[in-house]
Amino acid sequence: MSTPSIITAAETETPDLHVLERPPQVLNNRGPLWVTDAVCSIVEGKTPLWWYAAIAFTGTFAAIGGACILYMICTGVGVWGSNSPCFWAWDITNFIFWVSMAHAGSLISALLFLTRQKWSLSISRAAEAMTVFAIVCAGVYPAIHIGRVWFVWFLFPVPNSYGMWPNFLSPLLWDVFAVTSYLTVSSLFWFAGMIPDLAVLRDRATTKVRKFAYGIVSLGWLGTARQWRHYEMMYVLLAGLTSVLVVTVTTIVASDCATSVIPGWHATIFPFYFMVGAVYSGSAAILTLLLPLRLIYPQLRDLITPSQLDKVCKLLLMMGSCVAYVYVFELFNAWYSANPFERGAFWERFTGSCSWYAITCLSINLTVPQLFWFKAVRRCLPLVFILAILCNVGMWFERFMIVTSTLTHDFLPSSWGNFHPTIVDILTATGTLGIFFTLFLLFIRFVPIMSMNELKAVLPGTQPHAGAGHSNNSTEETH
Amino acid sequence: MSNHFQGHHLPIAGSKEEPLYALGARFETPEALVHAVDRLRDEGVSLYECLTPYPIHGLAEAMKLPKSILSLLVLGGGVSAVLIALSMQLIPSCIIYPLVVDGKPLNLLALPQYVPIVVALTLMIGAITAVTGMILLGGMPRWNNPMFAWDLFAKDASRGFFIAIEARDRKFSTSALTELLHELGAGDITAIHQEASEEK
Repeated sequence: MSTPSIITAAETETPDLHVLERPPQVLNNRGPLWVTDAVCSIVEGKTPLWWYAAIAFTGTFAAIGGACILYMICTGVGVWGSNSPCFWAWDITNFIFWVSMAHAGSLISALLFLTRQKWSLSISRAAEAMTVFAIVCAGVYPAIHIGRVWFVWFLFPVPNSYGMWPNFLSPLLWDVFAVTSYLTVSSLFWFAGMIPDLAVLRDRATTKVRKFAYGIVSLGWLGTARQWRHYEMMYVLLAGLTSVLVVTVTTIVASDCATSVIPGWHATIFPFYFMVGAVYSGSAAILTLLLPLRLIYPQLRDLITPSQLDKVCKLLLMMGSCVAYVYVFELFNAWYSANPFERGAFWERFTGSCSWYAITCLSINLTVPQLFWFKAVRRCLPLVFILAILCNVGMWFERFMIVTSTLTHDFLPSSWGNFHPTIVDILTATGTLGIFFTLFLLFIRFVPIMSMNELKAVLPGTQPHAGAGHSNNSTEETH
Repeated sequence: MSNHFQGHHLPIAGSKEEPLYALGARFETPEALVHAVDRLRDEGVSLYECLTPYPIHGLAEAMKLPKSILSLLVLGGGVSAVLIALSMQLIPSCIIYPLVVDGKPLNLLALPQYVPIVVALTLMIGAITAVTGMILLGGMPRWNNPMFAWDLFAKDASRGFFIAIEARDRKFSTSALTELLHELGAGDITAIHQEASEEK
């Protein structure tokens, strides 16, 4: 991400100052028409056999997960392992895991757009899709973990004659609003960014059904200068709103824990802790999703370039280092607080009967991202794929550690306990994985997985050059 | 309307029986399109539309399009969201239905605790305004459009930079504009008629 230092060059007046060239956005000098064909061919080609096999596999898990949820609703939350003192267990663990994973998608598409990091353009659509699907998975849990799902409307301020009213001062209610608005905003961001590309699919459609379906969702987009003017303004606005929202949502989710007085949760570092952990796990998830795609569709190798993947790896490294800092700081804080309960909670976390998940979490998250310091590791894509999966496993254990080890070890020794997941817990968790991958497979098959219009707009030679009379500063950025 | 436009040699899109909608042309490069817009403006043509596969820098400036008012709409949406969120929380909590938990205050002393919901709702309503605003200001949703009668454009709009000069423009003259567009390097100049309505 080195920016050519133009100002320094002008000031020092050294004529032979070497200015680093930006790595190309698309390799092999591909033109805009090639980009259209490459991206559309994924949707327009015959459905490959692997796709059917994959969706059958993930769909099965999703269906089993759905059946478990139905069983839980019909029977009660007792089918889960959550019990006194650990009333929050895999439900909240998985909720935090998924909602965190969503964050990196928004961050990559919104914050990197605002900071004009053009390398993220080809991966931003997939990252946004990941965000939306991860929030869907996250949203499964809050609704069902209340037990009596038919009372879920109690969460919302609906005027009623029962005297039921939500407590606006509770972080758990903030969660409701945060997750609802996060799902709405990220879906809108994803969909609105897709309208021009859906119109391309509509234009190229060969069957009546496709023409009709893509025609409806593209809303009659023509690509007129007026439409682009409003569209570009909307994109900047949405990117700004989403960037703020990402920080707000993590902070609110972290407040669920931090505003309690339980030792191990009651810390002001929690919002930051959740934020860096979120981007860390999300970057890993993006790598996990993109690398197989690149393998399956060779045409994407010119669009998702090694240099871009290298940058995601560096993001992972940076966030992984922040996560490591928080781990150390948390332990220091517990020791420095001189509070026996705070110290006891952490001592129990690493030496108690369930220390293995804290040790798994730390041993992965402290070591795996640090391997990305080495260029050889970042360039070896199969290794990156494996390490990215490991990072996600580590992050899941982190969420599990935060939620359960704290609840099972609070102030009263008489209420200390343990948590053991049941088969329903496990199958529901794998069910959300199934839902996530099923949605992602549908995404690959039916919508353009890259933002064609954004990519084309930054290819060399696709914008009028300076001297045409109407160049402005923005044209400089394209090269 | 008489069909006196049919006499010329231009290819025709849509139905000849229907009135002429616009004169369409295709440019190979964005520079040529921006240049053509400059010339058309000098000629006094005002009712035209440029259709491009991606946003072209400098095109809106050449067309003298005003800044999008979308940001203003979103500001309005955001401000009203703040008011809605505050009144949704404060009016029931302080006046209609105070829900006292642990004796904590519910009035403005507790304002920081009302902020997260205000922020979440503001961002949500702001985003909804931005997307609906973009759709409506862009003249969408509109699933039928005379431009779709022009196969070259409708089959794959990503293959060029198009311009459509509407027939209701004051300065509209098929022959003069065709000549001008030729001179500017446009190809595939086509007379776009409306499509025949199916009810006939």
